[in-house]
Amino acid sequence: MRLEFCWFCSSKIYPGHGIQFVRNDAKIFRFCRSKCHKNFKMKRNPRKVKWTKAYRRLHGKDMTKDSTFELERKRNRPERYDRNVMENTLKAIKKIDKIRHDRAADHIAQRWKPKAAKERREARKELEQSISLIKAPLAIQAQEPAITVPKIKVKVPKQQTLEQPMEE
Amino acid sequence: MATRLQFENNCEVGVFSKLTNAYCLVAIGGSESFYSIYEYELADVIPVVKTSIAGTRIIGRACAGNKNGLLVPHTTTDQELQHLRNSLPDSVVVQRIDERLNALGNHIACNDHVALAHTDLDRKTEELIADVLGVEVFRTTIAGNILVGTYCALSNRGGMVHPHTSIEELDELSTLLQVPLVAGTVNRGSDLIAAGMTVNDWTAFCGSDTTATELSVIENVFKLRKAQPSAIVDEMRKSLIDSYV
Repeated sequence: MRLEFCWFCSSKIYPGHGIQFVRNDAKIFRFCRSKCHKNFKMKRNPRKVKWTKAYRRLHGKDMTKDSTFELERKRNRPERYDRNVMENTLKAIKKIDKIRHDRAADHIAQRWKPKAAKERREARKELEQSISLIKAPLAIQAQEPAITVPKIKVKVPKQQTLEQPMEE
Repeated sequence: MATRLQFENNCEVGVFSKLTNAYCLVAIGGSESFYSIYEYELADVIPVVKTSIAGTRIIGRACAGNKNGLLVPHTTTDQELQHLRNSLPDSVVVQRIDERLNALGNHIACNDHVALAHTDLDRKTEELIADVLGVEVFRTTIAGNILVGTYCALSNRGGMVHPHTSIEELDELSTLLQVPLVAGTVNRGSDLIAAGMTVNDWTAFCGSDTTATELSVIENVFKLRKAQPSAIVDEMRKSLIDSYV
């Protein structure tokens, strides 16, 4: 039994799930559920479909380059079974998984970081400019003379006077 | 000494077993008498390993190997690979190959020094064969067939090829492989040589349909009995082949 990865969305396929498609050139495509299978049949490119791992990695949304990925790769030359090595490997897998998880979460947190500062800047600007929507500037002036509220200039169009005399 | 046997009433023993100078692989699911024949001949000398490849029993045709290494297809499961690695001696390198042509036993005929390969194999696979098996690789055909692994049974001391191989081709292959070759049949005239028998330097196993004449040809070309003058092989060749293609 081997936990494969879905060709379309890159999620793990557990036993009893999904469909495998073998093409005429002997390439095997494994899908985790009919959603991915149907998308494949529609000839969609997973790199353009937003919810797949392929898209997220390509567009920098998820972590791509990290040393923790080197543990999980397909090895074609096995080593003789050694109990100590097996024990150490199992411990290492747990640890490396946790580290990878944390680093991936960090990566996403880093992406969101500039958002807070930007929001604060925009809020401050809005506060300065549009405070008149909430409280009249003269009222603010009266209460706290220190604050200078920017004067608002309102353009009034010139009134056109009626030239026509009233009809009697 | 050549032994005749069957796997579940089937004479194609080269399909269900793989014999080399350093190990022997047999398929699981057969009767104990099948294993006991192998073990009787080989148990003290080399390990006899029961295995499956990709969950199938056709291990003789799926994998290719010699005393230096064993090549298995990419469909081999991780557990089978680990089992092979644990059971085989450390001198044998077990390698899984990513190749579209999966049945390596049909595409590669090899002994400990030289290998014949299917013409359409990947360049990377060819390099891996040369590296893992420690052999010189030649891309050839045998009697016009590209499946060299099926139509040629090879050991370090001799080889047998498809019965329709011409004399010129026999000589050419003989010089390439540096071993005496004979064009013959196995299992009462079957031209799938490597599927019908499996051979190493001191012993051979054939299907029980193999006639006494075929068996004596095999024993002569692979030098399994005490030294026989090669004139007998030539004489046999003349009597066995009625037309040269």
